[in-house]
Formats: sequence, C-alpha cells, structure tokens
Amino acid sequence: MMLVVPEPPDTVGASSSVLVEHFFRTEAGRLTAHLVRRFGAHRLELCEDAVQSALEKALLIWPRRGTPENPSAWLTTAARNFALDRLRASTRVEVEADEEALSAHASEPPRASLHSEIADDTLRMLLVCCDEELPVQTRLVLALKLVCGFSLREIASRLFLGEEAVQKVISRGRERLKELMTRADDAWDAPSPARIEQRLTSAQHVVYLLFNEGYSSQKVDEPIRRELCEEALRLGQLLVSGTETGQPSSFALLSLLHFLAARLDTRLDAAGHLLLLEEQDRSRWDQAHIREGLRCFSLATSGDTFSRYHGEAAIQLEHCLAPSFAETRWSEIVEFYEILERLAPSPLYTLNRAIALAQLEGPRVALELLETNKPPAWLGGYYLWGATLGELHRQNGEFLRAEHYLEQAIELAPTDAEKELFRRRLEQCRAGSSARSRRH
Amino acid sequence: MNKYLFLYWNPPGPTPQSSPEELQAMFAEWTAWKEKFKKNVVDLGDALHQGGRVLKSGKVTDGPHVEAKEIIGGYSVIAAETFDEALVVAKACPINSYPGSSTEIRQLMNY
Repeated sequence: MMLVVPEPPDTVGASSSVLVEHFFRTEAGRLTAHLVRRFGAHRLELCEDAVQSALEKALLIWPRRGTPENPSAWLTTAARNFALDRLRASTRVEVEADEEALSAHASEPPRASLHSEIADDTLRMLLVCCDEELPVQTRLVLALKLVCGFSLREIASRLFLGEEAVQKVISRGRERLKELMTRADDAWDAPSPARIEQRLTSAQHVVYLLFNEGYSSQKVDEPIRRELCEEALRLGQLLVSGTETGQPSSFALLSLLHFLAARLDTRLDAAGHLLLLEEQDRSRWDQAHIREGLRCFSLATSGDTFSRYHGEAAIQLEHCLAPSFAETRWSEIVEFYEILERLAPSPLYTLNRAIALAQLEGPRVALELLETNKPPAWLGGYYLWGATLGELHRQNGEFLRAEHYLEQAIELAPTDAEKELFRRRLEQCRAGSSARSRRH
Repeated sequence: MNKYLFLYWNPPGPTPQSSPEELQAMFAEWTAWKEKFKKNVVDLGDALHQGGRVLKSGKVTDGPHVEAKEIIGGYSVIAAETFDEALVVAKACPINSYPGSSTEIRQLMNY
C-alpha cells in the first residue's frame, strides 16, 4: 500500500465530511508558516495559537453546519481573524505601528487558491527550521512541530524523548528561530543564495533523519512510525517542488526515500520480528513507490551532479530491481559504496561495502576489509560492526568466532528487535557448528 | 418520539490542548456519531463557556463555582422512542472518551 502524500487542500471535495488523512495536521503546518509570513516571526507564538484556535473552532462548527466547500480557506480565514482580533486587543505600542499593515491584510480579499503561495511559505519555514546554527535535534523537533503539525507529546513519543526535554528544545528553538528570522541581513522573504544552499543541505539531512526514525522503528506502534516516513516523503516532495530547492540532490533524496518506502511492508514478519533483506518477500515490495522513485531518480541524474543521496539511491535501486537476493548486482553496489566512501567517508559505508563484497567475493575478502578498517568504539552503530563480523565469520565457517561477536552484538544492540535478530543468527551459528561437529 | 436532553458534565478548569491530529480524530468521531444516529440527533447542541453568572433571589453572583467538581460543558437534544434507545445513543457518544466526563440524560416534557 503506497503511503499517502496528501493532495493540495482545495481538492478535498465539496461538502465531504470525510477529511483527507492528517488534514488538520498538514494544515496546521501550512497555516503556521503562512501566518508567520504575514504577521512576522516575532509573533510566532501568536501564529501557533491562532492555528490551534482555528482547528478547535472547526471541530465545533463543522459537525453542526457541515464541512465547508473549501476547508483550507475556511481555516485560513479563521486563523487570520483570530490573530487580528488578538492583536487589536493588545495594548502594546507596536500594534499602532502595525495597524496600517494589519488593515492592509484585513482588507485583502480572500483568494480562491492560496495553495502555491502557502506551499512556498511552508518550504521557507522548513528551511529556516533547518538552519545550521540550530542544533540538529532542534531542527528535527522544530520541523515536526511547526511544519508537520505534531504536538509536543506526539513528538516526544515518536522520537523516544521525554516531554520535558522536548518542551525545552521547542522553547529554546522558538527563541533562536525568531532571532534568525528577524535578522537584518537575512530577510524572511529573501535569504541569500548561500544561505539557501546551506539550509537546503541541512533540510535534506533532517528529512533523511526523519525518514530513518520511521523506517528503523522497531517498536510496536508501527502506524505512528510509518507516519514519520510519510511526513519525510511529503517534505521531500516539498523540497523538489521549490524553485531554489528542486536540485538534483533533492530529487535523489526523494527517490531514495521512495525505494526504501517500497519495502516498508516487508521489513517485519507476521510476529513483528525484523527480517533481513534476503528474507523479505519481494513480491510485496510496493511497485508504485519503486516507479515514483525511478521517476525522481531519472530527474536527479539528468545532469552531472552526484551527491551522497545519488549514491544511496542507486544502491537501493539495485535492490529494488533485483528479482531475488541472489540475483542482486553486487558488483554495482560495491562500486557505489566505494564512491560514497570517497565522497562522504563513513565507517557505515565501509561496513555495507563489506557485506556486499561478501556476496560478490566471499566472506574472507570482506573480513579482510573490516579488519583493516576498525571504527572507534564510541561510534554510534558500533554494534553493527560486531554483528556483521559475526555474520561474516559464520559464512566463513568460523562458528566460535561468530558466536563471540554475535553475543557481543546482542548485548550492545539498542533495541529488542535487533537483539532478537542477532539471537536468531546466533541460533543459526550454533546449529551450524553442531551440524559440523556431527559430520565429524 | 420523545425528546431527551443530554447534558455533558466534566471537571472544570482548562482542558488540555489537543493536537491537530487528535482534533481531527474527534471531528471524525462526532461526525460519525451524528451520521450513525441521524434520526436521533435532533440538535448536536453546543459547547458552553466555562464562566457565567447565577441569578438567585435577585442577586447575581459569578458561577458556576470553580470549586464545583463538575460543570456542564455542553448539551445535545436527542429524539428517541424510549430511555433505553436514548441510552444506546448516549453510550456511543464521543464525549465518553473525554476524561472525567459524564452524560446526564433527561426527558423533555414536550409542552
């Protein structure tokens, strides 16, 4: 089942009381960005309150009077009016200076389709939330709160963080965001190309992280985490559709996400255990996602830029196109990992290259590669190194060695699902070694 | 058919803010309830502001009192043949999932 990427709001359907999934949440993101542009970044909290009030009003009024023909426009008007009312009630001096601007906004006739204008606003908001001056976690949290419309509690549960911690990140993040958006040399409306480039790279990274949060989920509440993948796809789509942000790297990123999303349904078995790539039922890989990924990939490769997303997408494409694990073009994959290692050196790329190399040339060659490239013990994902060594030693028939590494991996693995997976491998090891000892 | 007033009681004080996603879920529930019981839901009713006034023996005070354990937060008017039928409608009402809520069901005299 292809994940839903919400359509533009004015196609919801006249007098339909059934709203598109996550409509309120995506509207919240769009509206916040829209109001911030109109009323100013220094009024961020007012904008957020206005959006909340508009949605609460909709909850009360729509069941009674029917869903409006253009729910999005209704919400926009309601939110704007709330903000205007609150500002007029305010006794602060700055309100007078704004009166002219406010009355100009108020007298503007509501337009039939604000879709493209609001899409731009949302993109701008995403880019600002991903400013490099903000800590990475803050960027992710702010994007989830302000662009994706998640609440504090929802963010905390999805990122496995405490609510208090998230509250702190949001409060501090808001302040920093307001500072960033009101800087004289970087107007909200027209940031410099260098600034856009920097933020785009960061935004791509945040989208990638967001997808990863959903994809790597091994917790029970699958639907909640799948939602994160949906959001990442939606934000990826936003990036490719912007004039300045629709670069090959953005297309490559989106294609990568589609290739990975195609496999979401097959990552777990019926009992909720993690399945390896070789164990997944390829007939259930989502062809719609693969097709969309291919479309984006061809757009990404129309020029001669090559980003890390190009490399990763190319690798996932190989997997998606291979009719079986055995028929995978491992040589291509090894080559792409070599390119990635040169482009953006990372022990995890080396690790994945080793796994592919083992398929191509056998475990011994792969083991040699890993022995000469040991990562520091403090590296996140270090347990994966041990798990891979365990697997390779098992393939090489060195069962005792394999068991040693797998036991270590089981201990270090951060999630139950991964521990379970390594235990299965350990069982296979033990079965392998006892089979061998029986043969003797 | 008889008419019944549903009075929705809940603890006073600020209601915890619901996320957009939660609000949409509530919207879906109320809309579905209204649709399922369309021959019963005469008037979906309204919600009530928390503060108010009480006029008694010519004297006006603020009320209902904040110390009250429960206040009326809203109402609906439901048509049903019997109390039992009204109860079926009440049990399916989304208000039941609101923390601390209770629904008072009173038959109207129909004067």
